[in-house]
Amino acid sequence: MRSKLTWILTPLLLVLSMTFSFAQEKTISGNVVDQNSVPLPGVSVVVVGTTRGTQTDFDGNYSISVAQGEVLRFSYIGQKTENRTVGVANTINVVMEEDAEALEEVVVQGYRTSTREKSSIAAQTISATTIENRPNANVVQTLSGQVAGLDISTNSGQPGAAPTVRLRGVNSINGNTAPLFIVDGTPVDETNFRSINPQDIESISVLKDAGATAIYGNRGANGVVVIKTRTGSFNTPLQIDYTGILSFSSLQNNDYNLMNSQEQLNLEAERGAGRGATLTPDEIAQAPTFNWVDFFFRTGLTQNHNLRLSSGSENFSQATTFGYFDQEGILQDSDLKRFSIRNNTTGKTDNGRFSYGTNLSINYSKSNEPNQIGGSGINRNFILGAYQSVPYITPDDYTTGADLISPLLFSNTPLFLLDRLLTYTRFEEEVKLIGSFNAAYQITPELTAAITMGGDYQSEFLTRAEGPTSFNALLFGGAENPTSGFQQQNSRRVFTYNQVTSLTYANNWGKHSVNVAGYLEYFKAHLREFGYFAQGLNPKTFYPGDGSGFITTFLDQDPDNPIDAAVLFEDEASANILNAGLFSYFGQADYDYDTRYGITGTIRRDASYRFAGSNKWATFYSVAGRWNIHNEAFMDGSVFNQLKLRASYGTAGNQRIAGGNYFTAPDLTKNLFATGAGYDNIPSIFLSQIANTTLRWETVTSANIGIDFEVFDRRLRGSFDVYDKKTSDLFQSTPVSAINSVTSLNANTGDLTNRGLDFTLNWDVIRSDDPDGFRLTLNAVGNYNETELSNLPNEEGEIIGTGRNGGRLFEYFTLRYAGVNPANGNLLFFTADGDVTENPNADTDRVWLDKNIFPDWQGSFGFNMDYKGFFLTTQFNYVTGVDRFDNDLAGFQNPDNIGQFRTSRDLFRAWTPDNRVTDIPSYDAFNRAAFASDRFLREADYVRLRFASIGYNFPRKFVEKAGISRLRVFGNAENLFTWTKWRGFDAEAQDNTSRLYPTPRTLSVGFELGF
Amino acid sequence: MKNIKNLFLVIGVFSGLVACNDAIDIDQPGRLDADAAFQTVDDLEAGLFGVYDQFDISPDIAFQSIFTDELAIGFDNGGQGLADYGFVLNAGSTAPAVFWTNGYDQLNAANRLIEASEIVEPEAGEQARFNQILGEAYALRAWGHFTLLSYFSPDYTDDNALSVINLDFVPTIDQQLLRNTNGETFALIEEDLTRAASLMTEDNGVTRINDDFVTALRARIAAYRADPGNPSDPNWGTAASLSQQLIAKYPLANRAEYEAMFLDLSDGEVIFKLERTAGDNYDGQGATGSPAAGGWAGARFAFTGPGVDGSPYFEMGRSLFNLMDPADIRYDVNVHPSSVIDPDYQNGVGGQNNDILVVNKYQGSEGQPLMNDLKIFRASEMYLIRAEALAAQGNLGDAAALVKELRDARFGTATALPSFSNSTQAYAAILNERRVELAFEGHRYLDIKRLGSAANQGVLKDPVDCGFNGACTLSADDFRFTLPLPIVEFNANPGLREQQNPGY
Repeated sequence: MRSKLTWILTPLLLVLSMTFSFAQEKTISGNVVDQNSVPLPGVSVVVVGTTRGTQTDFDGNYSISVAQGEVLRFSYIGQKTENRTVGVANTINVVMEEDAEALEEVVVQGYRTSTREKSSIAAQTISATTIENRPNANVVQTLSGQVAGLDISTNSGQPGAAPTVRLRGVNSINGNTAPLFIVDGTPVDETNFRSINPQDIESISVLKDAGATAIYGNRGANGVVVIKTRTGSFNTPLQIDYTGILSFSSLQNNDYNLMNSQEQLNLEAERGAGRGATLTPDEIAQAPTFNWVDFFFRTGLTQNHNLRLSSGSENFSQATTFGYFDQEGILQDSDLKRFSIRNNTTGKTDNGRFSYGTNLSINYSKSNEPNQIGGSGINRNFILGAYQSVPYITPDDYTTGADLISPLLFSNTPLFLLDRLLTYTRFEEEVKLIGSFNAAYQITPELTAAITMGGDYQSEFLTRAEGPTSFNALLFGGAENPTSGFQQQNSRRVFTYNQVTSLTYANNWGKHSVNVAGYLEYFKAHLREFGYFAQGLNPKTFYPGDGSGFITTFLDQDPDNPIDAAVLFEDEASANILNAGLFSYFGQADYDYDTRYGITGTIRRDASYRFAGSNKWATFYSVAGRWNIHNEAFMDGSVFNQLKLRASYGTAGNQRIAGGNYFTAPDLTKNLFATGAGYDNIPSIFLSQIANTTLRWETVTSANIGIDFEVFDRRLRGSFDVYDKKTSDLFQSTPVSAINSVTSLNANTGDLTNRGLDFTLNWDVIRSDDPDGFRLTLNAVGNYNETELSNLPNEEGEIIGTGRNGGRLFEYFTLRYAGVNPANGNLLFFTADGDVTENPNADTDRVWLDKNIFPDWQGSFGFNMDYKGFFLTTQFNYVTGVDRFDNDLAGFQNPDNIGQFRTSRDLFRAWTPDNRVTDIPSYDAFNRAAFASDRFLREADYVRLRFASIGYNFPRKFVEKAGISRLRVFGNAENLFTWTKWRGFDAEAQDNTSRLYPTPRTLSVGFELGF
Repeated sequence: MKNIKNLFLVIGVFSGLVACNDAIDIDQPGRLDADAAFQTVDDLEAGLFGVYDQFDISPDIAFQSIFTDELAIGFDNGGQGLADYGFVLNAGSTAPAVFWTNGYDQLNAANRLIEASEIVEPEAGEQARFNQILGEAYALRAWGHFTLLSYFSPDYTDDNALSVINLDFVPTIDQQLLRNTNGETFALIEEDLTRAASLMTEDNGVTRINDDFVTALRARIAAYRADPGNPSDPNWGTAASLSQQLIAKYPLANRAEYEAMFLDLSDGEVIFKLERTAGDNYDGQGATGSPAAGGWAGARFAFTGPGVDGSPYFEMGRSLFNLMDPADIRYDVNVHPSSVIDPDYQNGVGGQNNDILVVNKYQGSEGQPLMNDLKIFRASEMYLIRAEALAAQGNLGDAAALVKELRDARFGTATALPSFSNSTQAYAAILNERRVELAFEGHRYLDIKRLGSAANQGVLKDPVDCGFNGACTLSADDFRFTLPLPIVEFNANPGLREQQNPGY
């Protein structure tokens, strides 16, 4: 590509140069490093006064055709721009210096940016290098462990699944707990990133403290994640980059120690249940063992292709990306295909006073997503089929769905599900458009007006169908009715529009500098939904998604035998409209003295449609200050390159108090009735909502103190923060007497505190001045968080399911299991007083366990290493303090499952008169299913090699001949090893549901090409 | 560039002034405010169907059959209902929470309708319909109170015993009320029934409440309140005369009608039943093996359909089956023909494998397997109430004659006249007859509770049905025949802990 361009440009240049001189064209090459001799990739190298230019490669190398006497300009963000005049030498090496004016990278502060030195907020930014080339369809999964305090757990291995994201603990009980996500200035649906191409992302900034989030007012309570996508640069020739990655995903290990066929059948024979009870010892010995895990799970293949073209002229730049991503989930019938295009442009006038930018992305994805995962339906949940199916049944036992109807046996679970794989279809198609426009105009040198308008349009289309010949259709339609089955389609469109207009005044006098801005923000969201549910499908013409096989509603009542009459195929239609809106005005003032002291104040007035009938407006504020100690005279000559002390205090709100999405609980301030089917299916009127007339925002008040430091010639860099956040007016379930027809109502009451600390550390253990030298950096991030409830809304100060005053959020409250009674094999429990009994009081013997499902410590550590173009990166995630119920284990150890489901070899340890001291109760213990207790509550702490990458950057001289400017090859691994006491398939999910779809282990190979 | 400046100004000012209300004051479409909900008598009638919809006895059918001796574990049982089947019952169990919350859902809905009726002015010619609606609402409120009382009161015969919370008003969410006494609750029930009877003038068929419902409910209440050990308890007289009124009006179904009645092809001897139809809110499987239920009646015993192919997770208990005579039409109605009956069942490998007794009472209707109307009052119950009352009063001969009359209708031929030498024998025979006649209709648990001691009977399963868990018998005076107040209520109303029922 480069050579082709050269060929086109050369005659033109020849003509131009011929006119003025006889200067000779030559090729200059060289290497660009920073002041620490670290090679700088991506440095723009431009021939001044021309459109010719290039960028440095991974190792900081470049080469360009120039004429003697021309000037090369080297520019890079955060570094002083360097100019070099071309002389006789063919090599120009450049050492760039840090630009003191714009110390290091630009820091996102919310609605504006600042420099790292002048920022007073607690924030962490990660760049594309730790995001790109990962095999996760959803970029949020990739963030796991990378940001101190950002707790990301994924409880589904479905490609593109939305993980649970929490920043610095849990700030709400029922409300939204996910941070606000903003892509290029547009707030987006935080639950839906499957359609966004991670390779487009340039940086992600996580804003943590009130100093940063108060300006987001009613949406800032859970922190803010600001995502910036890649743009082109001015004065840059066309760059073409291609990345291709191939990944293989597989199921992680478990430690349930499940029985093989012989063990299972012998146990069944012993218990007189299931097939084992009917077989002879010889038949049992010959039974095959089939592992249904390997049937329902598979090695999933992923391919990921990305092509990026970026370029820029004097006043215009653009970056365009095409992406194609195709991922097979490790579970059969689950996958995601995504096609995406993004085009970002920036432009400005000659004098630079007016500038603008556009960001537009168009994404289409289609994903097969089995549902009822986590459920107990033996004919619905594939995961159940994989884990719990008896091993002596094999796929060869399957003939047709109809044959499974009689006899209907629980132990045929895998065959029901095998039938479902063949006959059930469920997929979602999604179109997501995110577009934004921003513009700024410098009215005077001090005064700038700006506007950002952004829209997020999301159209989801669900299709699911259960074929008429399927086991499930026949089962519920009745064998007499061969045309049962259903098809459902649902269209859901959401459009959100956000607009911010602002006026900013910035000036400085001597050592004083001031920045004052006023803003107006408008937000509106619209949901439109419709669908149908059609019953009755003709197997001759049925095809999933097509309507040819629909059978219209009819009643073929045979008066002699009503049971044999045809079922009424009653079709249902549905539609829904919801609207939501917010309106706000706010201001921020920032003052700096001599880059030593700084203070920022923010105030925001917010109105939410949700509280229009009660408390429409709320005010949020914050104050943040900093002291750049390293700029003090007394620090001259110290080991500190940077030392900054920060502090902030302020409030932010959560207007999504009922969780869900923008539209959830839109008018809780009203008493509402509804119309619908009542007795005998006759239209009726009934109460649907009891009004809450005092409804208001949840407010999070937080304090944060932090230091940022760089010492020993920047070898050790990091930051440390402590915080205390208190959510007041929690919108939570308040128990009410059943006489109200409900047993709880939500109201704003009680407080929840999250307090803890964050740290980020990077240490250059080995540095090298040689681009090919050995370099090693260690890094670690961590967060400790604890939750504490107070002012709970009842006399006892405790709510079962929520917690108690002074205790943890969602603290477990249940009976304590005390083991097996050696005398008789029954289960023993502790009473509230600590005595041991077989018959505890299910109410009064429950106690608080001081355990919950949220982590105490979580974060990651790892290292980056490179040598002569080879590199190795690792990231180990760790989580402590998570306690989960292992309900899968409860199933595998349940003696009542013998005969129908697979059980664990743990059962061989069950109590018998000859084996009295054991941890497994007698099969016949009278109280084995009588009480809920902590018997299966387990620690789910883990350390996991979350990510590892190894690769090689080819030296330029090797690849140049092929017309390529850079080539990198790499291999990646996700979730390669996990060290944990958790026996299940995935320690990561913070969820008590059993039979979930675990996240996979993934190995990838890929390469990057640049032209 | 000047125009750009103006553009900013215009957009800024415009969005500031116009946008605010547009984003904040949003009325969601399709909402019905309280003011607009009930304006006419038609609206009230629509509201009444909402109240009716709160009434469901599928939880009663599930709980009373699992917790007693009507069932055995079915061959397709995947763990459904094992705790109830093992007589495990405590304040955290499902049954007390379900019966408590369902009861108050019913009462709350009825009270809201009664309250709404105060602001509706019937137009000319609408007064009778208005009165009828209101009367039905009062009758439903009485029924709701009685059901609650019957599960949570430890002793129906004692007016000073604790009952439930009387609820004849729309409560506010801060109210924490304590239990009334039986005397107070029965007084409220009687007041509501009197009002209902005086308001209702219409007869809209057996799926709507009319005067006969009131009479039947009063008869049942009288039988519950009467003391089996006290021949002169005035409730016996009430029970005898009210049941006689309905016996006179509702002849027993003949054998063909009896079968058709359980297929919902005929009303037969039904005095009142809850309609269940395709597409209604109970058209579904419901919670299998749990008193939470709320679906097709037949899905309390089988997952998908009638017969051995319908995945029965509960089968008929052997001790009940042994009371069924194949010549009795009730055998056909209760035992599905696809059942596999092993005469040598006691020596078989186990009740789940060789002796498959499939419950047949709820085969389905309207083409929907397992879905049937829920029979609340039938003439046969009135026969048995009257027999019980006569026996209590010492009139053993007439009691025996009534039992014979019922059995003659079921056998389609003259049966032997039972002979009772004392009231205990009579109670035992009547309890057994109720066990067969009202099987799987949500009576057994309460029948043992109130009659078991007098009849010298309790829960008695066949050994093949309880060998695996040892839960074979439960004495009629066991505390578990009164449900505990549920934990869910204590959370909001801790004062009630002091009033927890004995034994819990």
